[in-house]
Amino acid sequence: MKSIRREVFYPHPPERVWRALTEPALLASWLMENDIAPRIGHRFTFRTKPAPGFDGIVRCEVLEADPPRRLAYSWVGGPKKRAPTTVEWTLIPEHSGTRLVLVHSGFSGVAGFLLRTMMGRGWGHKLAEPQHFLAVLDRIKALGGSA
Amino acid sequence: MPRPTRRPPVPPSAARQARLFAALGDPSRLRLVELLQGGDRAVHELAAWFQVSRPAISQHLRVLRSAGLVREDRAGRERRYRLEGREMRRAYEWIRRYERFWDERLRRLEATLERERAREEHSA
Repeated sequence: MKSIRREVFYPHPPERVWRALTEPALLASWLMENDIAPRIGHRFTFRTKPAPGFDGIVRCEVLEADPPRRLAYSWVGGPKKRAPTTVEWTLIPEHSGTRLVLVHSGFSGVAGFLLRTMMGRGWGHKLAEPQHFLAVLDRIKALGGSA
Repeated sequence: MPRPTRRPPVPPSAARQARLFAALGDPSRLRLVELLQGGDRAVHELAAWFQVSRPAISQHLRVLRSAGLVREDRAGRERRYRLEGREMRRAYEWIRRYERFWDERLRRLEATLERERAREEHSA
């Protein structure tokens, strides 16, 4: 696992799902207030309530827009200097509905390290499988550390 | 229309992450973390696995300590090291929070699509 991936089937045509992903008012009703436009290079923001360490603004730029099939944008939440992650949406027509695939990738720092290295290859055969990694995490938890 | 309830997760502090990432970005230090997964160890036990000198291993352990990855305990004259889970757990939980964030939002998308279907049918 190198990224967060979700697949959901919606009994709605891809065109309607596409609109829910790319029309600001519709998108705001399920994600966040935004000024999105499905145009490559368009810069936009998602806005939500600030929290400590987070100004409430997610900065994005459209990387791919292929209606009603594929939409991708960069996603930077938190301090500006953070490396961007990428959010990719793929819409696959299925029966009379849409299989929507979300991939959120490109995490840097420790989270990226965990996703990329420990949850995948690179930590030796014992840690190659996610269940081993989870076992290691449980172990780390058991070892303590006052979170 | 219900307001979104869950914010995107706040990332761990950049400085803390940079320290942790640098600490793990060295093969010897990664190996030390792996060895410590077997339980706590004294420096000389850890050093036995390496070609480099014990002071070099101690230096690596200091870096891991400053990144919050290992903890040092003194037992008499001996220093023992063990894994400290806090920073790893923080990063792991950040990913988990992101997963929950998307799961919640994808459920909300379903409701948005239903409303939109009703609106389209009404205006047709």
